[in-house]
Amino acid sequence: MSKITITHQRNKCIGCNYCVEFAPDRWVMSKRDGKATLVGGVNKKGFYTTKVSPIELDENVKAAEACPVKIIKVKEF
Amino acid sequence: MDQKFKKPATKRPVELMAPAGGFDSMMAAIQGGADSIYFGVEQLNMRARASMNFTLDDLEEVARICNENGVRSYLTLNTIIYEHDLSIMRRVVDRVKESGITAIIASDQAVIAYAFRVGVEVHISTQVNITNAETVRFYSTFADVMVLSRELSMVQMKTICDTIKNENITGPSGELVEVEVFAHGALCMAVSGKCYLSLHTQNSSANRGACVQNCRRKYKVIDIEDGHELEIDNEYIMSPEDLCTIDFLDQLLDTGVRVLKIEGRGKGPEYVKTVAQCYREAIDSYFDGTYTKEKGEQWKERMTEVYNRGFWGGYYLGQEMGKWTDQHGSKAKTRKVFLGNGRRYFKNIQVAEFQLETQKVKVGDKLLITGPTTGVVETVVEELHVNDEGKKEMAVKGDTFSIKLDTQIRPSDKLYKLVDAETVEA
Repeated sequence: MSKITITHQRNKCIGCNYCVEFAPDRWVMSKRDGKATLVGGVNKKGFYTTKVSPIELDENVKAAEACPVKIIKVKEF
Repeated sequence: MDQKFKKPATKRPVELMAPAGGFDSMMAAIQGGADSIYFGVEQLNMRARASMNFTLDDLEEVARICNENGVRSYLTLNTIIYEHDLSIMRRVVDRVKESGITAIIASDQAVIAYAFRVGVEVHISTQVNITNAETVRFYSTFADVMVLSRELSMVQMKTICDTIKNENITGPSGELVEVEVFAHGALCMAVSGKCYLSLHTQNSSANRGACVQNCRRKYKVIDIEDGHELEIDNEYIMSPEDLCTIDFLDQLLDTGVRVLKIEGRGKGPEYVKTVAQCYREAIDSYFDGTYTKEKGEQWKERMTEVYNRGFWGGYYLGQEMGKWTDQHGSKAKTRKVFLGNGRRYFKNIQVAEFQLETQKVKVGDKLLITGPTTGVVETVVEELHVNDEGKKEMAVKGDTFSIKLDTQIRPSDKLYKLVDAETVEA
């Protein structure tokens, strides 16, 4: 079964909320700094990454496409 | 210290406010003679997409530099505010208060109300689009300074300024409300930031500081039903030329406006310094009685050297139709070509050393040095010492070269060559 990796370059987030709109189970808006947070994301040098099941692919692709600053990458392998 | 009724120092009869997209532009604004600077932090400002924004941790440093130079500092917190932004918004305002930044510039009522509540000075930003004295009166509960809408004519501005005086409309400080207007810089087809164009096309909301400037491109107008294309003599149908008021600044100041604002947080430090210098000289000449139309034209000509889309007087002169630019990007007569970085400065002999990473440098070249502490320095190469080989006519890529310079440079500085905009090969 394929795996999906989602990566988020968080410091560039402008807090538009689109990712939460499209994939509400995977993204939340932080009340601390107004930026999106990738649920389950592990931080490595500012890039937050998590592996998810293929069930989440479509909605997170939509989130990545909607992101105005293009800081969400969804990879399937 | 409670800031609510504190009047900042260094008041001039007319305040010149310049943009600061980073430390280098901030220094350029100070060198250019600005009385105040405005800047953004993090994502809650109208330049959220910019690669360079100050951070919250920079606030103390910005306040320190501004205070040392007798310049006031304004933090823009002027995007629309979503529910999830409220907490960070409050944190930013609190940090403004702690750090000694003079004021915030805001448009969202949540920001205005919170800042007022905690005693941080508020200025009402252009996004509120104030067009009459009653709106000034409404916001005077919260703010001493307000930007007027850019679509007003000078006659309308004067009416508002006169009403403020005649009806004694005062702000929280007890002083008459000060009217601020944009004097120079980019205009857009919408009220700044109040635009859905890039939101519609790229999910990128100008109201969140994420404008992608798609109005600045060429467009065709085609009737979808019959395919008929409108004949228009200019395809930049949504991109106005830049506002420039320097050739009628006397009329603008006669209206009673108190603060002149230069647009351009996304532009380079050389733009900030040149434009600020020109308006500084123009304002000073207005007050010492030496301002003339001819001088205005000369300053205008000087400003064509830096980024511009062509100039017009906006709606201030009462024109009914906007003037649209006829080309993409800047019409500046010069452009800068990156050469390399600063290395060392020998104070005792006033010599600056640079590392040339690309291109060539020759005797007679006009150089531009910019940096977060240096600001903007321009010089012409009179003598060139290359590597350890003594005096030469030219340095090439990879060389270390030094020139006479009476201003200190630093390793954080970038070096450019200024060339004619038409030059293909630098």
